[in-house]
Amino acid sequence: MSLALECRKIKRTGLTAAFLGGELLASAVPVLNMAYRPELYLHREASPVNVLLGAGWQMMVMLNVLLIVTGACALYHMEYADNAILKMCSLPVKESGLFFGKAFLIAGLSAVFLLMEAVSVAGCAVRWFGTGREVCGEVLRNLGFSLLLLLPAILLALLIASVCKNMWIALGVGVIGVLIATMIPAGQFAASLFPFALPFRTLSGLEQETIRGYVTAGAAETAAISVLEIILLRVRRAFQ
Amino acid sequence: MNIIETQNLTKSYAGVTAVSGLNLHVPKGTVYGFLGPNGAGKSTTMKMLLGLTRPTSGSFVMDGKRFPGGRTQILKEVGSLIEAPAFYGNLTGEENLEIIRRILGLPKSSVSEALELTGLTQYRRRLAKKYSLGMKQRLGLAGALIGRPPILILDEPTNGLDPVGIHEIRTLIRSLPRQFGCTVFVSSHLLSEIELMADSIGILNHGRLLFEGTMDGLKSGAAAQGYPTDNLEDTFLALIDADNRQRGGIR
Repeated sequence: MSLALECRKIKRTGLTAAFLGGELLASAVPVLNMAYRPELYLHREASPVNVLLGAGWQMMVMLNVLLIVTGACALYHMEYADNAILKMCSLPVKESGLFFGKAFLIAGLSAVFLLMEAVSVAGCAVRWFGTGREVCGEVLRNLGFSLLLLLPAILLALLIASVCKNMWIALGVGVIGVLIATMIPAGQFAASLFPFALPFRTLSGLEQETIRGYVTAGAAETAAISVLEIILLRVRRAFQ
Repeated sequence: MNIIETQNLTKSYAGVTAVSGLNLHVPKGTVYGFLGPNGAGKSTTMKMLLGLTRPTSGSFVMDGKRFPGGRTQILKEVGSLIEAPAFYGNLTGEENLEIIRRILGLPKSSVSEALELTGLTQYRRRLAKKYSLGMKQRLGLAGALIGRPPILILDEPTNGLDPVGIHEIRTLIRSLPRQFGCTVFVSSHLLSEIELMADSIGILNHGRLLFEGTMDGLKSGAAAQGYPTDNLEDTFLALIDADNRQRGGIR
């Protein structure tokens, strides 16, 4: 119900078009990389998927997370701009329901862009590395891992947007968060658990133990941010 | 029988008491005018009744349901317009009402009925952000009236309307109890407006209820205390002034 309502609310906001444009841009990264400088990658010893993700994933995921931050700001700006949230709160719906409806919407859009990126990576592996269909399994595993690690970033972006009534503040905080995430070195496990930094990790080169650590952290952060949002909404209502 | 009853409803913010020990009694099937100067606590009271802000102390019962336990049930039965009209600017008037209709689980025809009632039918496909102030107010009213809820909470519903619009909305509010059997709890700082549509009134000043009863009761009470009664506006002003003086000259 909440997801269906959120889908109706985004009419004429340009959000779907913005996500589609961003998705096309992110999906073009491995294609352009291979089209213009194949000699850099074709002779590497790692698996084609690892080579392709190693070459372009940082750029792709930065676009993904920036899209998520922008999308979250747009979704809450829609609520705050003409005070629509006041009307929603005076109807028999929970304010947390609005939050999770928006989270499902962005998660759905994110799943679409991850799928497009996975298709792009798989296509590049087949076209330039001559791999067969076996590449699909590896790409899908990476896709699932990335989607799970995107969830805390989605929820944190929405939490910031729900707290800040001024969209520009939420956008600024979100962009700073993404920039900080890009500066975190891959080797530092604890620092890479920052919700905006988690999606920068891929399965390539990770040991089973580390993968389990990231999966557990992703699930725990998703739950913790959800609980924090519910608490924040209650506190805000008490002080309004 | 009272459809809304509050018991010592109080709201304080950082040392300021916006509403203090309020005991309201709104009879079923009537128009109840909630009067008070700006900052008296009218909107805060209405927000508490809608669960938009949590009371510091006290409680209330609406149509037999006690807050906060029955919040969702209460909100299913209440149509509201609080402060400025609230809407999604990127959606048309009709799409805005469609969202409310879906949340309330109402039949599709309720959208066109609400548009018709508020005179917005011909503008239903226009984006809400392109509406004039009066049309936005009408859209807010349509959002409150959709599905003909048994209780309507309207905060200064004629704000921003031209004299013709004010007359139309006043007539509409006046007719609601008879037409749909609903109870209207309407606030205003204009006594002349309330006088024309309310069956009973409550006067609030600095969060305290100064008077509750019928218009005749207000007149006789005021006369007994030596306040002017020829003009209700003078009576209202005298009551507020006396309360302010009693509170130490606060205006």
